[in-house]
Amino acid sequence: MTNSKYPEELLRSLEDYNIDMRDFMPGHGSGAKLLLDFNKVKGLEQVDGVILKSREIENGIVADIIIKEGTKIEDPVHLCFGVNKETGIQEIFPRIIAEDNTEVTLQAHCSFPNANGLIHKMFGHFYIGKNCKFTYNETHYHGEKSGATVAPVAYIYVGEDSVFDNIFNLTKGTPGKVKIMIDIYAMKNSVIRSTIRAYGKNKNDSIRIRDSVFLEGENARSIIKMKAAAKDGGEVLMYGITEGNAPHCNGHVECNEIVLGKGSICRARPFIRAIDPSSSVSHEASLGRFPQKWLDEIQAKGLSEDEAIQILIEAMLRET
Amino acid sequence: MEHNQKGEVDSNLLLELKDIVIPTLDKKQIILNQTSFGVEEGSIHAIIGPNGSGKSTLAYTIMGLGNFKPSQGKIIFDGIDITNLDITERANLGITLAWQEPARIEGLSIPKYISLGVEDKKNINKIILEALKIVNLEPEKYMNRYIDESLSGGERKRIELAAAIAMRPKLIMLDEPDSGLDMIVIEDFLNIFNKIKDLNMTILLITHREDIGMVADHGTLIWRGEHLLTDTFPKVMVRYCARAGLKEFCKRTLFDDNGECPALDSDYIDRIFREEGMD
Repeated sequence: MTNSKYPEELLRSLEDYNIDMRDFMPGHGSGAKLLLDFNKVKGLEQVDGVILKSREIENGIVADIIIKEGTKIEDPVHLCFGVNKETGIQEIFPRIIAEDNTEVTLQAHCSFPNANGLIHKMFGHFYIGKNCKFTYNETHYHGEKSGATVAPVAYIYVGEDSVFDNIFNLTKGTPGKVKIMIDIYAMKNSVIRSTIRAYGKNKNDSIRIRDSVFLEGENARSIIKMKAAAKDGGEVLMYGITEGNAPHCNGHVECNEIVLGKGSICRARPFIRAIDPSSSVSHEASLGRFPQKWLDEIQAKGLSEDEAIQILIEAMLRET
Repeated sequence: MEHNQKGEVDSNLLLELKDIVIPTLDKKQIILNQTSFGVEEGSIHAIIGPNGSGKSTLAYTIMGLGNFKPSQGKIIFDGIDITNLDITERANLGITLAWQEPARIEGLSIPKYISLGVEDKKNINKIILEALKIVNLEPEKYMNRYIDESLSGGERKRIELAAAIAMRPKLIMLDEPDSGLDMIVIEDFLNIFNKIKDLNMTILLITHREDIGMVADHGTLIWRGEHLLTDTFPKVMVRYCARAGLKEFCKRTLFDDNGECPALDSDYIDRIFREEGMD
């Protein structure tokens, strides 16, 4: 177990998420954990059935996370990729394997509270075996200067009869330049639920997210939910992609984006494809302002239109 | 309280509509014509009429929704002319509306939703708990929940009602609170309306169900965009049934087990049905 001091500022930046910072410290809390301070491993703790290994490389780390067959753990495995510095390059190469019949939640926090020219890249591979329940919950905080450039890429294979929940939150602080690409390959009878939330708050925030599900196995099912807001010149582009490539598979893409203030742009580009006549893939998208009925419902309680909009954004982007 | 045919009354009015005409958004048609009536403070006042007669339009206009503006007439609330005030200003004067399809804003916690209109932030938890109890929701089951698809239609309506009660408004308008609810729930809602009245709030109840209106002290009948009558609720009910040709239904609803309706003269129903040519 590595157990050196972890920058308190990084931990404090997680308090907004109602996380007890002590749980992140090696030797505290009950879950497995991997803590990174820039490109140095500051904490690594395993639990029964979970193997965590990491190797430092020039600009980051390679991390292997293996959930052994049949392991079912309630406490999430915490991955904390923090950078306290304003600038630099952090590259993460996670390789994650959940063997058959496992149930686990990976909780990843990427916290860059002082970012001002910082670059974070991730290139991840996930292999989820058969009959697993796997949740990957990634939350980002990029500080308040729109000073981060963040480019994660993830390839995810989900085995037969498995359920994979993907949750990505980028709603607090100012994101900066963000380009995310997620490809999920769904095998027979698997279920994919992917929810992405993002909020661009000024003209220096540009968020592009591509979330793709390829339904490759018979009876595979998926839903992608993309929720975003852009204000005061912020820009958000969401690509929601689903391909139905197998018999009786079923997928849906849903995109809701709210535009606030002059110069803000929200774009949604759903792409759906079905090549099997028994498959079904659908999409729906709404962009612009909130429905007037929703605003009326709140304003009838005495709030102004601006206050009502803030309440609705808070509700739409509520992190789970 | 005595009403004349126009629904004008002399005493203790919280809300007065004076010659209100409500057009469609493009102003090419009239949704509700020349309507005047008053709502007494502390009362339950029912607006009844068939589907599409303009009842909800009237509620939206009183609330001040942007797409519902009268082309003529005045709305007086608590002695203030609110005709040109917007929805927020009216809500801050003490008017609110519980919607027919309420609590649609998924992602808000239930306590947050209920507290939206509460001014007394110091006692906010106490106010939320009280409001939940009034609408017969057990606080321990709802304080940590969010508005989401797991809530039933009845729960959403109760939560909406709790949010309205927590505001402590002078006037709560309830837009078809009975829609989509079973009889057991409706019976419970009638009790809740009386609890709201006991808190010195005035209720304007929009409904097309006559049995719901029976809880009201007074009523107004809107028929195909026309204000026909404002009076005691049984009289309004008789006129409604006479217009619709529902004599047996009328008697069944109004008469007690002894075949009597103390609120009406013995020949009142026959007379009104004759007037409407439905005898």
